[in-house]
Amino acid sequence: MTRLRRLFLAPSVTLTVLLFLTPLGILLVYTFLTRGAYGGMGAPWTLENWVRVADPLYLGILVRSVLAAAVSTLLCLVLGFPLALFISRAGRRKNLYLFLVVLPFWTSFLIRTYAWMFLLRDTGLINTLLISAGIVREPLPLLYNYGAVVLGLVYGYLPFMVLPLYAALERIDSNLLEASSDLGAHPWQTLKRVVLPLSAPGVRAGLILVFIPCLGAYLTPDLLGGGKTILIGTLIQNQFSTARDWPFGSAVSLALMAAVMVLLMVLARRHGDSLL
Amino acid sequence: MKIRGLGFYAVLAYFFLHAPIAVLLAFSFNSGRFTVWEGVSFRWYEAALRNSQLLEATLNSLIIAVAATALAATAGTLCAYALWKREARWLTSALTLSLVTPEIVMGISLLAFFQWVFRSFSVHLGMHTVVLAHVTFCLAYVVIVVLARLRTMDNSLEEAALDLGAGEWQAFYRVTLPALGPGIAAAALLAFTISFDDYVITSMVAGVDSETLPMVLYAIARRGANPVVNAISAMIVVALGLLVLVSERFRES
Amino acid sequence: MNRRIFLMGVPGLAGCSRGSLRLNIFNWSNYVASSTIPDFEMETGIRVRYAVYESNEEMLARVLSGNSGWDVVFPTHYYIEPMRQNNLLARLDHSYLPNLPNLASRFASPAWDPKLEWSVPYMWGASGILYNPAIGAPPAGWSDMWDNRLQGRMTMLDDPAEVLGAALKKLGLSLNETREAPLRRAQAEALRQKPLLRAYLNAEVRDQVVAGDVLACQAWATTSQQAIDAAPHLRFVYPAEGFALYADSAVILRESRRYDLAHRFIDYLLRPEVAAAVVLQSKAATANQQAYNRLPPGVAALPALFPPADTLARGEWFATMPAAAQRLRDRLWTEIKSA
Repeated sequence: MTRLRRLFLAPSVTLTVLLFLTPLGILLVYTFLTRGAYGGMGAPWTLENWVRVADPLYLGILVRSVLAAAVSTLLCLVLGFPLALFISRAGRRKNLYLFLVVLPFWTSFLIRTYAWMFLLRDTGLINTLLISAGIVREPLPLLYNYGAVVLGLVYGYLPFMVLPLYAALERIDSNLLEASSDLGAHPWQTLKRVVLPLSAPGVRAGLILVFIPCLGAYLTPDLLGGGKTILIGTLIQNQFSTARDWPFGSAVSLALMAAVMVLLMVLARRHGDSLL
Repeated sequence: MKIRGLGFYAVLAYFFLHAPIAVLLAFSFNSGRFTVWEGVSFRWYEAALRNSQLLEATLNSLIIAVAATALAATAGTLCAYALWKREARWLTSALTLSLVTPEIVMGISLLAFFQWVFRSFSVHLGMHTVVLAHVTFCLAYVVIVVLARLRTMDNSLEEAALDLGAGEWQAFYRVTLPALGPGIAAAALLAFTISFDDYVITSMVAGVDSETLPMVLYAIARRGANPVVNAISAMIVVALGLLVLVSERFRES
Repeated sequence: MNRRIFLMGVPGLAGCSRGSLRLNIFNWSNYVASSTIPDFEMETGIRVRYAVYESNEEMLARVLSGNSGWDVVFPTHYYIEPMRQNNLLARLDHSYLPNLPNLASRFASPAWDPKLEWSVPYMWGASGILYNPAIGAPPAGWSDMWDNRLQGRMTMLDDPAEVLGAALKKLGLSLNETREAPLRRAQAEALRQKPLLRAYLNAEVRDQVVAGDVLACQAWATTSQQAIDAAPHLRFVYPAEGFALYADSAVILRESRRYDLAHRFIDYLLRPEVAAAVVLQSKAATANQQAYNRLPPGVAALPALFPPADTLARGEWFATMPAAAQRLRDRLWTEIKSA
């Protein structure tokens, strides 16, 4: 097996080492350099960028980003679980329903975000309808606030929750559920005692797949939040663009990744399984 | 087990997912430029079909997504199989790390990497760099999905094949691989969706001849409401949707 | 599949070989007329790949690798020095640019590139206030953007230099302040303004002002003129306290192997009739005096694009920030955004 296994691993190992680990290594080197007068990088070697990362200002941004990502992730779970449950019980139509979850995501996420802006604006569809129906007089401030950011994140990453949940739920043996109900369990009891525990791996995968991109997102929060808040993704983006401070940007990026990785390791250890 | 209201909830959830896209679709037929309905017209579709930049970018995106999906699905499936046989902790960790890498970080690090490579070789940014970047970030997703499928499978079947004298390659190719079909299909679908939609990383590593659809759409959309964007999005959703439905029907029969 | 993809890269590589008639131009969106590129292609037989960007940062990220494939790009003037220091720019050869004297005299020797060794000014502009007269008393200066009455109906640009710049001008200071104490005062002003703002928006604000969502905003003159074209009741004012000026300039990238073609394109843009056609369509202010002289009176007199000399005298050019000041400003901006 070893030869075949080595052969099978070769493409992935090459790709990962060359195009993922090496580039990250370059960024790691950058974190110890100093920003030059014109946005270039060079000597002297320094630890200053790492010291700056620990500044309360940036830690505050990190905490705010973690909160926003956590709220969005939990909402995805709450909204996604019943949907995944529905799809997994849908019999022959499963594939169609699953496909309908993915379909909207073949429009560019930028377009989806602009579609939401179009709905939420003062002169957007929702406010126009509400006003013409006489429900409100003044347009509701729906866009450019925290709610809009969370909405955008939930909308953007819901499929990343539904797909792994569905995969886990679909695997549950329906005999188990029948047995539970034959023994007199109320559907809600079955859900709580049988379905939820058995779908735990899917829940975990979904939480990770949604939480992480939410944490790093910058376009959605910027567009729907109107630039009035700053999350860690935007902070990183700013360092590489307007501030042209690559060393500090690299340090923030790697610090963020390290934090997330530690979190995952703890999760994996606790559940005694591998990371993937 | 029957839970009341689940069907009703599903209707609401699908409404939430599809309403913005439906509005987009509807307004692609609006004859006016702005958000006020002014009558039915196909002018934005005509404009989209006459916009060579948009068409070329769509073609680029499709080529990149198909190529990246094929490469990532192949490499990822082989990798998942090998990992299923025996765990390789460092590789699993590296792949997980690539999943937790914010897009912007991956884009910047790839850009920095290509800058270094370019110092020694005369290569330009282009389709090849975009495809390589996309394969890199799709790989971990493929491995996850395929590995999850493998873990639900019984490996006694493959062992039986080996006992019956099949070579390792035959056992993989004839026994395990066919059973992996749905898993690979799901992984490919995921990879295609991520690749087709990527803006952040692509915009960092794209060259002169490899502008993708999200890049062009972003440039257009930032300049203000432009129903051409709605029209091209509508066409893509409908075309890809039909393609998947037809292939699904084909597979069933 | 693999091989096919790598073959697809080949035409791109082939395009780089010396002497092939192919030119790659990367410009701001809406900065040429619809006939500009086709006419150039027709006349010279050169095939042009033309693409657009929306911010200097976006452009810089694309060309920073030094192997992007672009030949001519159009950074704003304060990006020229950083790009030159990072070895991205090629020195211009004026013998290939016979139309250079067409530039207006104030662009013949600009502070950021006195001999035009690296750049040719293309379009210039300013940031001011675009407003809807429905708000009553028209705003006269930046201080009116701190008006409680317009709470939630105002936006500022999503750019640290512009927001801090407006606050500095409101305090009677220079846009290009580098000292900490005055910058802190400007930050305090910006923090006071933030609750009054709907959002920080760049070009996206145009549609929202036209639709009436936003009543007053900090905006670029070009964006504002486009908004006014769509909704003629809107007005643009150059703030009384002073305002920022910028010039987008054509440069040739060092990586380009088609210096001659690139020069030829820049010289083509310097022709009066070509530049004038661009102004008519894109509503940007040209740096070309001969082109300006050709404009129909209705356009040449547009107050948002071509303000009178005494108004213009209040403008101040953005400067490239020293590293320490840039870092301080980024920090202040991050603090404003996290407040």
